[in-house]
Amino acid sequence: MISVRNVQKTYKLNKQQKKELQTSASSINAVNNISFECQPGRVFSLLGPNGAGKTTTLRMISTILKPTSGDIIVANESVTQNAQKVRSKIGFLTGSTNLYDRLTPSEVVNYFGTLHNMSKTDLDQRRDQLFTQLGIHDFSKKRIAQMSTGMKQKVSIARSMIHNPDVVIFDEPTSGLDVITANSIIELIKDCKAQNKTVIFSSHIMSEVDLLCDDLAIISKGDLVYNSSMDDFRRDFSNTSLTEAFINIVNKHSSAAV
Amino acid sequence: MKTIITVIKKELLDTLRDRRTLVSAILLPTILLPVMLYGFTKISEKVMTKEKEKALKVALLNPPANFDSELDSEKYTIIDSIETMEQGRDAILGDDLDAMISFLDGYESKISGGQTAKVHMWYKSTNIMVKDRLTTIFEKYEKAILDDRIANLDITKETIDPIDLTRYDIAPKKEQIGKLVGGFLPYLFIIFCFTGCMYPALDLITGERERGTIETLLTSPASRFDILMGKVISIAVVGFAAAVLTIMGLVLSLKLIPDIPEDFLDAISNMVQMKSVLMLIVMILPLSLFFGGVISAMVVKAKSFKEAQSIITPISFMIIMPAMIGLLPGIELTWTTAMIPITNIALATKEIVADTINMGHYVFIVLSLVVLAVISVFVSYRQFSKEGMVL
Repeated sequence: MISVRNVQKTYKLNKQQKKELQTSASSINAVNNISFECQPGRVFSLLGPNGAGKTTTLRMISTILKPTSGDIIVANESVTQNAQKVRSKIGFLTGSTNLYDRLTPSEVVNYFGTLHNMSKTDLDQRRDQLFTQLGIHDFSKKRIAQMSTGMKQKVSIARSMIHNPDVVIFDEPTSGLDVITANSIIELIKDCKAQNKTVIFSSHIMSEVDLLCDDLAIISKGDLVYNSSMDDFRRDFSNTSLTEAFINIVNKHSSAAV
Repeated sequence: MKTIITVIKKELLDTLRDRRTLVSAILLPTILLPVMLYGFTKISEKVMTKEKEKALKVALLNPPANFDSELDSEKYTIIDSIETMEQGRDAILGDDLDAMISFLDGYESKISGGQTAKVHMWYKSTNIMVKDRLTTIFEKYEKAILDDRIANLDITKETIDPIDLTRYDIAPKKEQIGKLVGGFLPYLFIIFCFTGCMYPALDLITGERERGTIETLLTSPASRFDILMGKVISIAVVGFAAAVLTIMGLVLSLKLIPDIPEDFLDAISNMVQMKSVLMLIVMILPLSLFFGGVISAMVVKAKSFKEAQSIITPISFMIIMPAMIGLLPGIELTWTTAMIPITNIALATKEIVADTINMGHYVFIVLSLVVLAVISVFVSYRQFSKEGMVL
C-alpha cells in the first residue's frame, strides 16, 4: 500500500530559473499538499499534463526526492524516516530503455539483485524465472548495446522485478515504445495486479489508463484536482470520454487558478 | 561495505570493457614510454650515424696550401665552383652546399708569423653534425699549428698550460640520474593518474546521468554514500593502475632497450628497489583517491559528456602546472614546497628515486594527501547528495 499524506515539494529558484519562469518568487511548489492512497491488488493511475508534478510525486514515493513537508508511507515504511527500507520494497520502471551498454542482461540483473541483498540461490532462481517468463534466455549473454529496444525493455523489467517488490512504480512506462514492447509492459502491470502488488503508474495514453486502472488521481500545477475510483469516475463523467473528462478537469482547475 | 564492493565490481567490469578507458588508462601508460624511448633512441642513433657518414659538400675560399688534405675525400667533397661568399651563402641556403670555409686575407702570413689568423665557417645549424664535424677537423689542424709553434719557441706544453684542473663530482650516480629521471617521472605519472581517473569519472557519473540509469540505481536499497564510494574507488583504481603502469613502463623500457649506458642502467636499477617502489605506491594511492574525489565532485553537476569535459579541462591545467615544477632544476623539497599539493609529489619522487628523501617530508606529504583525499571524497558526497545534482 502507498499512502501519500499532505505532501509538498518546494524548489528554491536561482536567478536563471526565475528569469525562465518570469517570476520574482524565491521558490516554487512542484507538488502542493497532496494526499491519496494506492491499495494492494489495484492499479492506481496518476494523470496530469506535462509539468503538473506527476514525476516529482513518483520520485518522492520512490525516495529519489525528499518531500519538503508531509510524509509517504510505502508498504508500512516512511520515506522520510526509513528510505532504505522503502527502496527494498519497490520496483521502479520508466519508458527509458537505457541500461549499461557494456554489460549483459545477466550481469545487469545480478547487479540489482545483489544491491537488494538477495542471496545467490534466491537471485539465481528468481532470475531464471524472470528470464523464462520474459524470454530473455536466448540473449542473456549478449551485450546490451547489441540489443533491440524490445529486448532492452524486457531486461529493464527483469531488473526492476528481480527482488519481487510489493510496490511497483511505473513512470510513463510505455512512452516512446513500439506497440509490441508497450504491450509487454501492459501485461506486466496486469501480472502485478494479479499478484496483489500495489501498482502506481503515470501515463499520457488514455487508452492504457482506461484498460488498466482501478483508481485514479489527476494533478494539475502541483494540486490534486481529482481522486476517485475508476468506477466513480466513469459514473461522474458518463457522457464524456476519459480524454475529454481529463481535459475538462484540468482546464477548470487552470481557470480557477488564474 | 558489501554494497560498496558490489558497486566497485560492477563499475570495474563496465569500465574495463570501455575501449576509450582501456586505451587512455591502461594501454597508453604502459606502451607510450617504451615506444617513445625505443623510437627516440633508434631514430636518433640512425640519424646520427647517417649524418656522420654522409659526404659533406664543402667550399673553401682562399684555402692555405695542403688544407685539402685535412678533409678525407670519402667524407668531404670540395666544391670548386663557389668563388664568392654570396654564392656560398646562397648555395647553403638552397641546400646545394653543406658548409663554406673562408680563410681571410693574410691567413698564411699570419700563421707563419705566429699571429692569429681568421677563418669564417658558414653552415646551417639545422643540418645537424656539420658544425661538429668541421670543428673537429679545425681543432686537429689548429693543434698541429700549435705544436709547431711550441717546437719553434723551444718551450714545453706546460709553459702555456700552467694549471691542470681536475674536477671531481662526488654526487652519487644514483643522485645525479635520480634527480634527472625523478623530475620527469612524476610529471608523467601524475598526468596519467589524472587522465586515468577522468574517463571513468565521465562514464560512471556523467554517463549514468546522461543515460538516465542513475534514477533506477537510486531506487535500489544502496545508499547514496555507498554508490558514490563505489564509483570513486573504481575511478581511483583505474587512475592508480594508470600511474603504476607508467612507472612500470619506464622501468621496463630502460631495462629492455639496448644502447643505454651501463652506469645509467645501474643507477636506474636502484629505482626499482622494493623500498622506492613501495614509497611511490603509498603516495599514488591517496593521490588517485584525491583525483577521483575532485573529478567526481566536478562532473556530478554536468548533464552531458560535453559539459563534463569543459569542466575538467581547466582542472587538468591546474594539475599539470604544479607537476611541471618537478622538472625545473634547483627547486628542492623543503617544508615550504612540501605544503604545495602536486608539486610536493613531483619533488618527493625526485628525492625517492635519488634516495635522498627526508622521511619527515615524506610522511607529511602522504598524510596531507590522505587528508586531501578525504576532503575531496566528502565534497563529492555532498554534491552527489544534492537532489538537483544527479537527476
